[in-house]
Amino acid sequence: MADIKALQRDLENKASDLQKLGRESSKNNEVRKKYTIQLGENELVLKELDLLNEDTNVYKLIGPVLVKQDLAEANANVRKRIEYISAELKRLDAIRQDLEEKENSKKEAVIKVQQRIQALQAGKGKA
Amino acid sequence: MAKKGTVTELSSLFPAEEAQKASRRVQDEIAERRRQLDQLQGFLDDNSNLINLVWKLPDETHHNIMVPFGKAAFFPGRMTNPNKFLVLLGESYFAERSAKQTVEILERRSNTLETQIDSLNAIIDDLKLEASFFDNTARESAEGLVEIREDYIEEVPSGTSPNSGKKSDSVPLLEVDNGKAAIEDEEYAHIFSRMTELEKEEEEAEEANGSDQDEQIQNEQDQSVGRDSTDQEVRNIPIVTREAPVISKEGASHGDYHPHSSAVVKKDFKLPQEEKIGSPLPASNTVKKDFELPQDEKIGSPLPARNTVKKDFELPQDEKIGSPLPASNTAFTGSIVEHAHNIGMHAPQQQARGSKPVSRFKMQRK
Repeated sequence: MADIKALQRDLENKASDLQKLGRESSKNNEVRKKYTIQLGENELVLKELDLLNEDTNVYKLIGPVLVKQDLAEANANVRKRIEYISAELKRLDAIRQDLEEKENSKKEAVIKVQQRIQALQAGKGKA
Repeated sequence: MAKKGTVTELSSLFPAEEAQKASRRVQDEIAERRRQLDQLQGFLDDNSNLINLVWKLPDETHHNIMVPFGKAAFFPGRMTNPNKFLVLLGESYFAERSAKQTVEILERRSNTLETQIDSLNAIIDDLKLEASFFDNTARESAEGLVEIREDYIEEVPSGTSPNSGKKSDSVPLLEVDNGKAAIEDEEYAHIFSRMTELEKEEEEAEEANGSDQDEQIQNEQDQSVGRDSTDQEVRNIPIVTREAPVISKEGASHGDYHPHSSAVVKKDFKLPQEEKIGSPLPASNTVKKDFELPQDEKIGSPLPARNTVKKDFELPQDEKIGSPLPASNTAFTGSIVEHAHNIGMHAPQQQARGSKPVSRFKMQRK
């Protein structure tokens, strides 16, 4: 009896850990999605900036104000932004993999505990 | 042996409810994609409207418009410079552009939108296929469809070349013809000399060890060896049992006979042999069978089929006829086999003696 209770507590802990991991990974996925969209947008901007003439006026909206910017500067800024986003995406990928591994091992642990509980209960039933 | 295939009810593999669930899931996915598609289509329409507007604006030097002021108010205004646009490029970057340049930008945008719509359409088509597949599965499983699986067994052993395979098929029917056609004089002569040689050996062997026991032992050895043995070995045995002359003729033609079929033949032969001899217990027969079957399977996929066939005596005969082709090599191997179960390296002659006598005896008895 004591064994089974301990095991069940163990199972609950592990299950809640597993849920936490699932929440983390779904958050991770959301962030990833956002970054992927931003990456696409930045690439579009970069394409358009490349097509502009040297002397075109470029503005950046900062808060409520449009601030005039140098085309070269804007270009560099966008490039930097793309680099940053790509790096971020890579980092998120690594994190996601890590999370998946953790999740899998947790799942296995949970299943093991469940099996043990079942085995114990079956043994008790026979006895 | 009788086991030819398995029958599985489709509903046990894919329960109807599960399949329906899967199909519903796919349908949901399709609906989701459709929404995305509609959204994109809306963007595209907006975009083309905008293009038209931007096209027309520079037609006049100024426009009287209502300027939005806050959320709810407008006041009359006048638009000057209708050829000067501030275009949002994204990421809160704006560029000053003329109407024509603006239209170029907008057209590029509508192009990307169109490619997105195309890919979305492709995805939806895929999903539709998937959904119809699941629907079909669900229906079939509900109807109690059954899946029958049977191993595909080729008539001819896989080990041989395609040509040989064809031959073997035809062989049972027209063995003699085939043989003659295929025979090359050289081969023929070779075989004949072999045969005579073997016969001599047999005679010697008979003199040397005529006892049944020896024969039995040899037979058993053969059987055990049989698995490992090549086709040639197998062939030899059958040949001996049968009438020697016929075999030799036919044998010439079938140089390339397959190991598998020959192996099969062997079984049949051996069993009769033992019985004739009388020494082997019934038990031994059964044991042998078991052994051989596994062997066959190991050797090649086709064997299992053979075994079943074997049951009928006729088939085996055909095979024998076809099989016998003791090329010079064969003769050797055959002898080897008999002793062989240890290792094929024994001196050929000794082996030959042992094996030959046995076969001979059988023939005589017959």
